[in-house]
Amino acid sequence: MVQEKRILYEHLNVPNINTYDVYRQYDGYTRFEKALAEYQPDDIAQMVKDSGLKGRGGAGFSTGAKWSFVPKDIEPRYLCCNADESEPGTFSNRYVLEKNPHLLIEGILICCYAMGIETTYVYIRGEFTLGKKMLDAAIKEAYEQGYLGENIRDTGLNVNIYTHPGAGAYICGEETGLIESLEGKRGQPRNKPPFPAVEGVFMKPTVVQNVETLCNLPFIVGNGVEWYTEMGPTYADTRSDPPTPDPNTGTKLYCISGDVNEPGVYELELGLTCTELIEVAGGLRGEEVKAVIPGGSSAPILTHYELDTRLDFTSLTLAKSMLGSGGIIVMNETRNIVDCLLNIMKFYAHESCGQCTPCRWGTPWVRDIVQRIVDGEGRKTTITRPKFGVTESGRWGDTGETEEIYEDLDLLEDVANNIANVDTMTWNTICVFGIAVSWPAVSYMRKFRPEFEAAIREGKLVTLPVAEATVPPEENYAYQQRFIPKEFSELE
Amino acid sequence: MAFIKLNDLEIEVEDGTNIVEAARQHGIEVPHYCYHPGLSRPANCRMCLIDLYLRSSEMPERQLATGCTTTVRSAPPERKIDGKYDVIVRTDSPRVIKAREDILEFLLVHHPLDCPVCDQAGECDLQDFSYRHGHDKSRYVEVKNVPPKKDLGPDVLLYTTRCIVCTRCIRFCDEVSGTGELGLINRGSHDEIDIPRNHAGTPIQLLDNKLAGNVVDICPVGALISKDFLFKSRPWFLKKENSICSGCSVGCNVTVEYKEDGLYRIKPRFHEDINQHWMCDDGRLGYHYVNNDDRLQLPQKRVEDELVTTQWADALSLITEKISEVESNDIVVIGSAQATNEDNFVLQQFAHDVLKTTQLGLFGQQLGEEHKFPQFTIEADKNPNTAGARTILGSANGNVVLEGETLWEKVAGAKVVYLVSGVPERALDEAEKEALSKVDFLIVQDILPSAVTEMADVILPGTTFAEKDGTFTNSTGWVQRIRKTIDPPGEAQSDWLITQQIANQLGGEFEYSFAGEIALAIAESVEGYGDATHQKIGDAGIKLA
Repeated sequence: MVQEKRILYEHLNVPNINTYDVYRQYDGYTRFEKALAEYQPDDIAQMVKDSGLKGRGGAGFSTGAKWSFVPKDIEPRYLCCNADESEPGTFSNRYVLEKNPHLLIEGILICCYAMGIETTYVYIRGEFTLGKKMLDAAIKEAYEQGYLGENIRDTGLNVNIYTHPGAGAYICGEETGLIESLEGKRGQPRNKPPFPAVEGVFMKPTVVQNVETLCNLPFIVGNGVEWYTEMGPTYADTRSDPPTPDPNTGTKLYCISGDVNEPGVYELELGLTCTELIEVAGGLRGEEVKAVIPGGSSAPILTHYELDTRLDFTSLTLAKSMLGSGGIIVMNETRNIVDCLLNIMKFYAHESCGQCTPCRWGTPWVRDIVQRIVDGEGRKTTITRPKFGVTESGRWGDTGETEEIYEDLDLLEDVANNIANVDTMTWNTICVFGIAVSWPAVSYMRKFRPEFEAAIREGKLVTLPVAEATVPPEENYAYQQRFIPKEFSELE
Repeated sequence: MAFIKLNDLEIEVEDGTNIVEAARQHGIEVPHYCYHPGLSRPANCRMCLIDLYLRSSEMPERQLATGCTTTVRSAPPERKIDGKYDVIVRTDSPRVIKAREDILEFLLVHHPLDCPVCDQAGECDLQDFSYRHGHDKSRYVEVKNVPPKKDLGPDVLLYTTRCIVCTRCIRFCDEVSGTGELGLINRGSHDEIDIPRNHAGTPIQLLDNKLAGNVVDICPVGALISKDFLFKSRPWFLKKENSICSGCSVGCNVTVEYKEDGLYRIKPRFHEDINQHWMCDDGRLGYHYVNNDDRLQLPQKRVEDELVTTQWADALSLITEKISEVESNDIVVIGSAQATNEDNFVLQQFAHDVLKTTQLGLFGQQLGEEHKFPQFTIEADKNPNTAGARTILGSANGNVVLEGETLWEKVAGAKVVYLVSGVPERALDEAEKEALSKVDFLIVQDILPSAVTEMADVILPGTTFAEKDGTFTNSTGWVQRIRKTIDPPGEAQSDWLITQQIANQLGGEFEYSFAGEIALAIAESVEGYGDATHQKIGDAGIKLA
């Protein structure tokens, strides 16, 4: 039985940990003080690079690499903390904000010290009113205690934190959309390049980091790189010769919801399999697993054939899915996949910012197609092809073979792929919202095609048994493309 | 200069040129909607996607790039592809062609396809690119969005259903006019262009700035429509002629679109140093006087305090008679800042060589208001040719041209005044009225009945900018050509032709037969106009030294 490994969440349930006094008792701000006393800013940047910390917001981009892109000669530089946690199925950041906001402030301080940043914006999801209240109170305390403001701890370091509530748009969680919204404009992503590291907030170099990523920093500084890298697997990236290490180090806050007995946020080492994770969350509610969404609603779905997939950045990428924000949704045999897709597509059609053409008009179109299938009005045609063979009369002739064409399924796949092609991983949209739409649409449809066909054939939603509903691995190109990553240590 | 390979062409383009422009310069079309050379580039229509080879000539970049935001620059030698190209671009690869088809399919998803009743049909980018790059049928069977039609301002209607949300109009109002009336409301597929409104839906601010008409020009589809041109004509029935706006001394380059029965609309034409891509609404909508039914068509003379129409021969002999009776010192000849350089030159020659008078004046529209915008200025001088008229009238006279009070003093003391007006809707103030009323015999050459013609003893029907050839000199010294589009109404004649006839009756020997010939004479005799022949001016104009 796998045990939780609480680091970020270790003191989460200590009463009044949101106040400075209690937080201080539990080593609060000592890691920051250690950073100030023992390390130069560049040392910390190097430590973060060595730790292999990957951004926890969704893309899983190496934090150390991101920091190295920031030009050091342009002032001012900004830190932008992304607390616009709005991916369906994800709810880990809000606990940090509501219960342990000082941890985030400490993370911000370390990042600011390492990057020489004086101004931080925390963009908080508009619905997190309690989280914002708690964070604001904690920031106020930190100012009073001299951890924020001018000349912190007499080191000449200045850091100011400003919180900014969002107005309720999913797309403002995309880093450039967030920056536009922060600047007071319509929340629409920018064209990249230039990336925020070069031109971000107010067209100045900006580090955009998720709450969870920043919360990891105090522990990397406090306990050292070696301690950190011991957690989680390090894979070998065999694309280069010799293979380079591809670290998936640290813990991850997995938000497990759906058909499990004890849904909630679990802090676990990276690299556990789906099966282990369901076990940690109190086991499956129901008979058998039908599907698992591994990383928030935009991630391609995993079937029961793929439950051995390890839930870390590399393994899921090689399994043609993604860890994303760690929002894991488990579905049992009672769930209808067509209905699930409709739910998700409604969300995306509503949240498309409408800036660029394919997403603006493609997402509602995909939703409408799924809606039609759910309403029992999906289209299918039976065509007859000439096929030569022995006919009933015993003569050689046309046996009149018929074939059923599910037009709407082909259309669904085609339209979704026109927004962003999941096979070639190219998108015609400005931001990755496009691929977040077509990933679920195409993966649900391909992996659970029998259920879609049944809905069209029967004219109503039909929930098939798991084995029947899922396309078996030998017929599915997507499974054949799966790779099991090799550990770097094994290679040596 | 960057050396690039564009499809199979090897071309040199200036550093900083984007792919859309580079391709256009070499006759390759990269379809685009949101990109406009005069505005910022949000790359939101995704229509100008291209294949880009940055590292090798074998393998393109994984993602397609937008041509409008991809600028070419000469690369350092070690980064050149195949040792010579700075970048390789393909606009005709299969996946580019497919991407265009896909984007066009999306663009037409909610489009009403009402081309048969749409004003833009015939000059619509959506229509043209759909024909050239799109699918032949739509796979969309769901319900289309039908947002309401909106009245945005005095001259602009928004057919919201046709809008493809390229945001050119919004960017124009933000960047060029700086007035920012337009914005997007709602989100996703319900995006709509709109003006600020209160909760009841009543507009707080209308799209009524002086440059508002440009949003209609830059709209790539039929969403923004000019009320002035609404349902007037199909664009392909209109004939087009390059000309210059006569609304003020900026001298915006325009295209006059007309049929035989009059002008239909005026659109701006690109000129890098003068008006860029834009023009103001005063100029755009100010052409209506040309089509006016009240235009002067026949000469008129005063008989017992009433103006009656007469024959050209009669009017000319009357004028000859009156002028012969007086001394040359008693004659004042007044040119017009609305008339061309050619008109004023013949007038100047007439005054100088035939009448032997030095009393030459300049008449024009009263001073108006100046409007400054971030990227555009409307000047206070509402005459197109003040600078040219001043130089040409004074060219044989030591550059002395009577203007303002001195002019009206001279007029008050004169016996015969020959006033070339051509100003639409010119009001007269008290001093001007008094001065003109003291004149014994006032000859007015004009286009419309006005306060000036009311006081005239003989009225000669002249022509507007749309009915003659010639040149205007703007306030910054650009000499530019206007061209004849329609025939003048009735028996109206070109201003220089009328002057030439009077002069010849009085013993002059003028033999000009067309405006270009006069321009040659100007080039010979007026300082600074040496190059200002019609041939050399062409469509681009020339700047005086």
